[in-house]
Amino acid sequence: MERHSSVAETPVNSVMVQRRSGSKSFRQSYRSCVGAASHLGYTPGLTTRRLTTSRRAPRSRTVTESVNPEQLSLLVKKEWQLSYVTPLHHFRHTQLRSYSRQLLAFIVAEKQQGLAVALEGAESSLKVVFSVVEGMATTDDDADTVLIQIHSKSVFASQDDPRRLVWSGWLTCINGSPDYVRSLPKDFVCLPLLCSSGAQWLTSLVKSWLERAFDCCIGSLDINSVNLQWLAALWTNCHPESNIGQLKLMWTLPVDPPLEIAFTVHPQDAWELWSSMRGQLQEEEQENEGVGEGAGDKDSVDIDEVTRFIDGLKNHFYRHFRLDLSAGTLSQVSTALGTAKHSGRIKISSSSYMNATLMLLTECALLKMPV
Amino acid sequence: MATSQNSSGPPDLDSSSPSDQSACSRSSNRSLRVAEIERRKNEAEDPFVLALKYFSDVEAGTPVTGNDDVERNLVAVERVAYSKGLPPEAISIMLEFAMSLRMGTSPCVRVLKCLIPATVVPQEAVVRAVVWLCVGKIPLSTQVLFIKWVLTMFDMIDAKDQLHSIYGFLFSFVTEENLCPYICHLLYLLTRKESVRLFRVRKLLDLQSKMGRQPFLMHLLSLYKVFCPELVTLSLPSRMKAGFRNHNSQWKSALIAVQKKNSFQVTSSVSLTVRLKDKTNPRKRKHNHLEVPALSSAVNTQTNPSSSRKLVPLVQLHSFSLLLENLHHIELPAQMGSLLGSSLALQYLDCVQDESAFLRLNFWLGHALHEEFLFCSSGVSQNSEEVLQFLDRLLSSQHFLQEGFSSTEAFLYKFLNIWDGSLLRPQILGMLSNIPVVPSSCIRQLLFEPLMQLFFTSTLFFKCGLIECLNSMLLKWLTWHSVYALEDGLDISLNSHTSINMTLSGFKDSLMELVHFVGRLASVGLQIEGCHSLLLSFILDFYETVCDMFLKYGLPLVVMPPAGVFYPALFATDPVSVDRLAHIMYRYKVNLMSAKTQEKQTEQAFHISRQTYREFNHYLVVMVNCLWNSKMFQPGMGVEMEEELLVSSKVPQYWSSFDFIHHPAFLSYAVDFHHKCWPGSRNVDFNSIKHPKPWGWYLEYLYAQGFEGLKQFVQSNISRRSTAGDGQGDGLSADQR
Repeated sequence: MERHSSVAETPVNSVMVQRRSGSKSFRQSYRSCVGAASHLGYTPGLTTRRLTTSRRAPRSRTVTESVNPEQLSLLVKKEWQLSYVTPLHHFRHTQLRSYSRQLLAFIVAEKQQGLAVALEGAESSLKVVFSVVEGMATTDDDADTVLIQIHSKSVFASQDDPRRLVWSGWLTCINGSPDYVRSLPKDFVCLPLLCSSGAQWLTSLVKSWLERAFDCCIGSLDINSVNLQWLAALWTNCHPESNIGQLKLMWTLPVDPPLEIAFTVHPQDAWELWSSMRGQLQEEEQENEGVGEGAGDKDSVDIDEVTRFIDGLKNHFYRHFRLDLSAGTLSQVSTALGTAKHSGRIKISSSSYMNATLMLLTECALLKMPV
Repeated sequence: MATSQNSSGPPDLDSSSPSDQSACSRSSNRSLRVAEIERRKNEAEDPFVLALKYFSDVEAGTPVTGNDDVERNLVAVERVAYSKGLPPEAISIMLEFAMSLRMGTSPCVRVLKCLIPATVVPQEAVVRAVVWLCVGKIPLSTQVLFIKWVLTMFDMIDAKDQLHSIYGFLFSFVTEENLCPYICHLLYLLTRKESVRLFRVRKLLDLQSKMGRQPFLMHLLSLYKVFCPELVTLSLPSRMKAGFRNHNSQWKSALIAVQKKNSFQVTSSVSLTVRLKDKTNPRKRKHNHLEVPALSSAVNTQTNPSSSRKLVPLVQLHSFSLLLENLHHIELPAQMGSLLGSSLALQYLDCVQDESAFLRLNFWLGHALHEEFLFCSSGVSQNSEEVLQFLDRLLSSQHFLQEGFSSTEAFLYKFLNIWDGSLLRPQILGMLSNIPVVPSSCIRQLLFEPLMQLFFTSTLFFKCGLIECLNSMLLKWLTWHSVYALEDGLDISLNSHTSINMTLSGFKDSLMELVHFVGRLASVGLQIEGCHSLLLSFILDFYETVCDMFLKYGLPLVVMPPAGVFYPALFATDPVSVDRLAHIMYRYKVNLMSAKTQEKQTEQAFHISRQTYREFNHYLVVMVNCLWNSKMFQPGMGVEMEEELLVSSKVPQYWSSFDFIHHPAFLSYAVDFHHKCWPGSRNVDFNSIKHPKPWGWYLEYLYAQGFEGLKQFVQSNISRRSTAGDGQGDGLSADQR
């Protein structure tokens, strides 16, 4: 896997936004008066404006063709815990071998804290591998995805026992906002989404190593209901090309004791509701502006369509059970393509449509950026 | 973990009671000698020192029950222990006292529970205690407690060599059934290769056959097997849950609290403090976003090999002189957040102007603030102490750099929308006053709207606080302007075609928005609060800044206060407000006059609008008519009323009711003056003051009361006839434009 590392390059931002050398905040304000497009100068309070109201419909393409299937298989069918990561300082895709060594040494050192003896063999029982997953990026601005795997062997296991994979995680950026990515200085690499899976103590160790090594900050990333609704709609939209199994939605109602409602929809029904929403909206669009682009485009999905779709489902539920779901929050969405939970856990079951999902998650992660 | 901060103090039992501490910090300005004497004196009387003396000298067999001395001294020790932790000597004394059972078993447990070390635990103390353990008089439960204590404090024991040498003694306790799990844990921590002996392995195996496969025995055996596989032939399961159970719950919270406290004490000092990070288990680290990372050197420094200079990590620089020597080849630390605690390092950062470094710091800071206040659903109150310290540190850094970090700015814009106006008010307002100039296009949405909501729904004190905050914000903007206007070539007299001048006008727009905004807040605020003089005072503070913008800060902008501020101040019942208003009007006049002359001289139009002059003149006429000419309520003035209404109010001579004599703020002065002038007369006839001579004296009398503003106002605006002929002067000079 490491053979890739020599080829992969940290993307160099070709279009650097011009900055003045001094970074005095006062001058930044002056700059923002003139409207220079630096993210330091831009008014951060307006982040809500960055919310996307329209997305491209997912297409099954790219990933399966461009990514090594062996690597791809490591990313799917596993439940990942999501985190956001602020841009990594001095991260080099060419240094992965050295990072493997450093992380290993860090884990071993942390493990031995509180022990008065050096546990021999701890080092040899663990193995850390950093590798580049090529072909994930969709734009030139996206940095290549980095996969971290930790294998371990028990102290008492015999020599030839194979190491087991005990932890894995990957840092990625799929179609990250070019304005944001380009506005960063050259020595930062933006990989805002961290998916991790494995023992909790290893997760925290890897996180704190990342924080120390690249001076970044890591925080947990949850998927709010709006984004879960997006996922539900985007996945349903794939149904004609790839069966989505069943659309399962889970609502949490704020009553005492908390009430969880699981709502399973037959894929064909969901698809029909969805396509009728889309058809309806597109007709309206066409009436309004003639043959327009925008939301009427076949490729793009609009937030209005998503809300209507979910509202339709809620109404249906209300008719049958007299329970108004809009009082609760959507806490889980799952189909054959994947499962997403409000707590920030996601499982991507089919690699075909993973790009769309990851784009959405990258966006969520970028929205969490403090600066 | 030992915290290194306390090493600065003398090794004896210093800094023991809170009073002592504060006394020391208070006297920091005085000479060191005086402070030293005071410290010694305090020490001699310190109940903690006395208590330790008591416990080290107390004779065996002294009764406990009904003995007030023990109780008092024990409380003194406990107080120190739970607030700052015990210094090493105190640990030795107290441990010796407890384990020797000099006063029986009952105080022993209590003492053990409060043995919270401030820095380290001396190894000798532990060894001596083990000796007492071997004597065997101690009840079993107390023995267990002691071993648990050793396990908890294991990392804080200053050396381990003597403990290694009593391995055998410790091992002998494994036969004690109740003690066995804890002893095994301790042995596990102490075991080295040479400690593994065949007879010990046999003993453990023997125990195992008796007690069954207990996890603590398994763990110890597995460690033995790692060291000497040939001695332990037992087959152990390949997967075991690592680690022993934690027994530290008794001391844990107290220990963490003490360590936190101690590590925060040094932060404000202006030195390169190298903070040791509290050793916290990463597993437990859930909500401490506010922990400032430790200053450590970077690992991944792939600096380009062409630069052959040797870089010195910041962590190695301990003094200012070292910093100066290495100023040009300093390597920034691995985590920029660690600089926040050290003012000197921040200053270095400010002087190198490394954009990435600033960005890194801002990422960290913004992350911490966002996680703590915005993303965290559990609320902030639970660790408010920590939050407070963090914000204070942030504020002192910003204060030191004299500018705000852009991440705090971004954070505040979001936070203001959910702030209740009371949570951490001084800190939030402090951060708010540090934000850099906001473009006028979005200042309303970002700043004014949330602040307006807070202002109108909060108490008087919040209103005062907010006005004060906006005043200091204005001051900072003006200061930045006066500094950078020169530096960036933002000369005010640049012609109007360059983009730089555009930015100046942008700056002026923002400033104007801010001043108008405060004007609106102030007008309505004064109405809501019934012209409260405290609020008025803060508002006048603000206008004292505003009126001098041209002369003090070179900004060609003059904004007059709105009527809602001017009249409440003019008719205020306290003379101080009127006096300050007079001063403000005087400064406005000076500013306007010099702007006028400058405009004439340079011919280059920066332009203070006619409207401003008009407003000023209007206010001036009102003030002079009201205070001086006794011509209140005349047509054309700001306050007009119908004649009939005024007559029907039955106020005699209503037109003079706000002159210097009858103004509610000055009436008492007029009475007093009258008494002094005509001591005999029973009837107070104010009109007699209006005669030219007493009028002059009256003014002098008022000036003598400290009304400097009135003096400046009168002298600059009213030309009295020098002959003191026919009464009070009445002319307005030079302001009718």
